Amino acid sequence: MTSMFPDRGRGSRPSPAAEPAATEAASLEDLLAASARGDEPAFAELYDRTAARVYGMVLRVVRDPAQSAEVTQDVYLELWRNAARFDAGKGGLLPYLLMIGHRRAVDRVRAAQASVVRDDRYAQLTEERPFDSVTEQAQLNLESQRVRKVLDGLTPPQREAINLAYFGGYTHTEVAELLKLPLGTVKTRIRDGLIRMRDALGVTA
Amino acid sequence: MTHDLNLLAGAYALDALEPAERELFEAHLAECPECAEEVRGMQRTAAELSQLTESEPPPALRAELLHRVAQVRPLPPVVDGNVIALRRARIARSTWQALAAACAVIAIVLGGWGWSQHRDAQHAQSRAAAMSSVLAQPDVTATTTALSQGSGTVIYAKHEHKVVLIGRDLPRLPAGKTYQLWMLPAHGQAVSGGTFAVDAAGNVAYEVDGDLTGYVKMGVSVEPAGGSVQPTPSTVQLLNV
Repeated sequence: MTSMFPDRGRGSRPSPAAEPAATEAASLEDLLAASARGDEPAFAELYDRTAARVYGMVLRVVRDPAQSAEVTQDVYLELWRNAARFDAGKGGLLPYLLMIGHRRAVDRVRAAQASVVRDDRYAQLTEERPFDSVTEQAQLNLESQRVRKVLDGLTPPQREAINLAYFGGYTHTEVAELLKLPLGTVKTRIRDGLIRMRDALGVTA
Repeated sequence: MTHDLNLLAGAYALDALEPAERELFEAHLAECPECAEEVRGMQRTAAELSQLTESEPPPALRAELLHRVAQVRPLPPVVDGNVIALRRARIARSTWQALAAACAVIAIVLGGWGWSQHRDAQHAQSRAAAMSSVLAQPDVTATTTALSQGSGTVIYAKHEHKVVLIGRDLPRLPAGKTYQLWMLPAHGQAVSGGTFAVDAAGNVAYEVDGDLTGYVKMGVSVEPAGGSVQPTPSTVQLLNV
């Protein structure tokens, strides 16, 4: 069960009940369990099915493609190393990966930040209207349309605060400063906005 | 559900708290199931935002990752509870003995700083003053643990919620790696105490605000620069408190 040897032949898995009928049917969690046993092709498939989400988010926050690739690679290497220790009870694998990736992306930009650069980036951000521009690229994806719709349902101030915090990588204190608002107002907007999104998307904890 | 800290759940889920707030809130999460559940839901909601930024990574990333994966053995599962391979710890017999030793170490470490970083002399002095104030607390404890290389002393002023880690002769880390301090509960997730570096001799005096009530150990791990959300298990060494 905890064999260290790579178990590449899918037909030789120990538990026939857990064996996916087709590659597509394997859940991310199944692929991770196989990865824990050293199954590199399974890990490659896990990567292929999740990397665009993780990398895209990291790229949005970090902006520099080379650094974004580094952050993304770190996230997946850590996942590979700790594959046997992932606790599926805490929720799905993809939200977990995105959470780790976001934390690292944010840590990366904060470590590198200089105030002047940050001001420029904010100017860029507000001009670009990130949600509008990014969503156009993903128009064909139904899931992203759903998320977009939910975002549209937020008040513009809620949207702005969440946008700056999540994609901008700013702390809530910085967001308050950028928007010339009291910190308490920003905290409330972020929290209320996320609760609205959560309920509209039907996300459960 | 309605206490003040609960208001931080949203900003926490977006990684938008200031570092000190993050630590405080993570300590709170360990004790407040309602907030922990709310945070989980919000983190999963935040994860949905990444639907809007999907972007194919460069093929070189995939190749490099799989190349590196082939060279790294996945860690075995944790079989016995939450126990991380623990180097036999040596606890100083007397707290006061250890405290005396720790004071001597601080003098050495701070002396070293003064010598090597004269530009930061003032900074070092203010840190020395801060640490002296920790050591002056009546309820301070100090516990030294031998590590695989070097040693770590945790000095804890319970009433002040201050922790000082004195590291001696720790290995220097390659570029891109950092030490990270952790508070470890008997069950559940580790809580970060922030990242720190050691000087050329492998010494460090690192102070952090923290309440160790409810935690059974501290830990030091080696993480990628910037630190991690949870410690990389293979690198964790436990410190007695």
